[in-house]
Amino acid sequence: MSEPVPLTTDHPGQVASATPPAPGRSRRLSDRWLAVTFISPAMLLLLAMSVFPLLWALYLSFTDYSATRGGPANFIGFGNYTAILTSAQVHTRALTTLIYVVGAVGLQTVLGFGIAYLISRRTHGRGVLTTLFLVPMMLSPVVVGLFWRFMLDAQFGVVNSMLGSIGLGQVEWLTRQRTALLSLIVVDTWQWTPFIMLIALAGLTAVPKYLYEAASIDRASEWFRFRTITLPLVWPLLLIAVMFRAIEAFRLFDLVYILTNGGPGVSTETLSFHIYKVAFLGFNTGTASAYGILMVLVVIVLTQFYLRYLNKLKEG
Amino acid sequence: MRSPKRIGRMSAPGRKVRLATAAMLLVATTVTACGDGKDDGEKASAPKAPATIPELTKDPLTLSFIWFDWPPAKALEAFANAEYKKERPNATIKVNTVPNANWHDAMFTQFAARKTDFDIAVLDSQHIGEAVTNGNILDLTDFVKENIDVAAYNPYLLAAYGQFPQAETGKRDENASLYGLPLLGDTWTMIYRKDLIGDKPPQTWDQMIAAAEKCQADNPGVSGLAFHQANGSDAAAVTYNTVNGVYGGNLWDSKTRKIDGVINDAAGQEAMDVLVNKMKPLTAKGSGNWFIDEVNAAVAQGKACIAFNWIAASGGLLDPKQSTLGTTREQILDKLGFATLPSQKTNLVPLGGMGMHVSAYSATANQTEALNFMKWFERADVQKKWAAAGGVPSRTDALESPEFLNAGPFNQVYTDSVPRMRDMWNVPEYARLVDIENTNVNAALNGAKKPKDALDDIAKEQQSVLDSSSRKGGGGL
Repeated sequence: MSEPVPLTTDHPGQVASATPPAPGRSRRLSDRWLAVTFISPAMLLLLAMSVFPLLWALYLSFTDYSATRGGPANFIGFGNYTAILTSAQVHTRALTTLIYVVGAVGLQTVLGFGIAYLISRRTHGRGVLTTLFLVPMMLSPVVVGLFWRFMLDAQFGVVNSMLGSIGLGQVEWLTRQRTALLSLIVVDTWQWTPFIMLIALAGLTAVPKYLYEAASIDRASEWFRFRTITLPLVWPLLLIAVMFRAIEAFRLFDLVYILTNGGPGVSTETLSFHIYKVAFLGFNTGTASAYGILMVLVVIVLTQFYLRYLNKLKEG
Repeated sequence: MRSPKRIGRMSAPGRKVRLATAAMLLVATTVTACGDGKDDGEKASAPKAPATIPELTKDPLTLSFIWFDWPPAKALEAFANAEYKKERPNATIKVNTVPNANWHDAMFTQFAARKTDFDIAVLDSQHIGEAVTNGNILDLTDFVKENIDVAAYNPYLLAAYGQFPQAETGKRDENASLYGLPLLGDTWTMIYRKDLIGDKPPQTWDQMIAAAEKCQADNPGVSGLAFHQANGSDAAAVTYNTVNGVYGGNLWDSKTRKIDGVINDAAGQEAMDVLVNKMKPLTAKGSGNWFIDEVNAAVAQGKACIAFNWIAASGGLLDPKQSTLGTTREQILDKLGFATLPSQKTNLVPLGGMGMHVSAYSATANQTEALNFMKWFERADVQKKWAAAGGVPSRTDALESPEFLNAGPFNQVYTDSVPRMRDMWNVPEYARLVDIENTNVNAALNGAKKPKDALDDIAKEQQSVLDSSSRKGGGGL
């Protein structure tokens, strides 16, 4: 009688290994080696497409290498990093990016949560409404940028046409310093509010109904129920959505490229757009690599702080 | 029975094997991605094209160009496939196009990879320095000596589209190397509404501004001026450079590589003042991001009294399907006039157009075909046919031929403008210089910077780019 095969182990994936290898099977073809063989292509792809470029960019960031000029990549230590961190040009773009991230993500959070809250209170047509609201999110940012560029055109755009019909004057949406950044925030908000809405809706529908029923019995006001039941329970999920959106907004490139090309002047140039110029106008590959690495570091550090806060919130 | 520890955790040798495997994969990936590193270590220089054209292939071959998407690109493909195929039936011409804003990047990212999907790069004259310094295009000096009748050209045209180091304005250095041959000549034309400002075009810049001002006041809904103001490509930069030239300014001192103190001297300041304070108020609201298409649209819709645009992009203005000015070409021409730019302190006009340059990374058979195409294209009879097909030739005989002068109402403008042309800087740092100028002029035109501050920033930032070769780190910021 053969020994019984254990049904579970500490690691479910190892169950199969309890079966002895077939007689005559080469030692090299053990389960572990088979697993390695099967995983290798994916690992190789990951190394080639993700890990290697990152490490290569890290190496180049310490050199004065230029992709077009050729020549050796001379080691210059932290020269690129120092230059970036002390550059007034970079500070300007960082401020623009910060205003954009705070403005766009803040607006999207308020609107997204508001819409989700309203939809969650409906019993009929919730699915249709949710689907309709999600449409902008499914479009390519380049397509969104192009049609908003036409809509915001000062001469023949539909937005100014509508403003004109109610007696308001023409607004130069894309060619004035203040309105250009505002336009970017509005377009990004139009596209990505549904993302926040979707996550918030998931949180809102997960709030146990008995809490509201208990509050109703205690004759709690609508505002009290929102403040003490809805918001605290949805808040952690909403913060995760905010984090995803903030990371996305931080590396904004496509909308800027299509809508304003960074203008007027450089007033809507974000950090990503600036990196593009450093990398492809002057082909200063070393500087652009350092710039990119710094952006990744900023995102990682801020995300870590954010996640710690989220964990504390969860523990609380 | 196996111990749980054994199952759940890899042994030390196992971990080492995996780490070693991962390290080997990473090294292999690195080696594969970097090649042998020979390219990087070698000093770049443009390889030489043969003086005589080697034997051409008899196999089917596609000769690929890269250009930006505009009517002359389509015209070139149609023309070359119709005419060149008569001599080389096995060759097919393909003109690949990219949006104007991506033109430089599309070419130079491929050059950076040392592998191109095009055989002939259509470079802007200012790109030549960057391509030559990086060894991206062939040195055609010997080929030109053997195969091209250089006396048939205005020397400056030949220099502008091929010579490096850059020629002095209006001249050609016969000892300098040539890296390209003219493909399409171009300059700005003044497009004016004959029905609104009269048949006679303004002769001076001041007259032009006064005429635009009066026309705008007399015709509500029509703006006095339309010109390039966008911060992409070289739009706003060419506009400022044109006004700078007309008012007697200079972009730089090429011998001393000095920009600060030259572009922002008194003449430069006056030009910026004229552009921002006299010309900009006569443009349509929201026109601060206009380039070629938007200016053409304003003219075609009858929304501008006077406009400035590249000649090669003006053909569509005569198409009744795209215009509200008339239902026939003749009716449109009753309202639209084309003239050379007004002069003021000088009569300089911007040099536009592009040359053909052979990719150093193209296959030998394709390089040979490219040289043969260029020799064919520069022939007198072919240049006249190119003119008749809508192209702007560069040979003097073609420029003065009836085929060219009768092909479009703006062609006489080009022929008259040739002796008046001035180019920008043709240096490896061109892309950064033009971006600095574009963004600052665009900022001044759209109220984001004061004109004087914008000009001083251009001078300071451009000088910094030229001086940054010895800087350790941070290049490109």
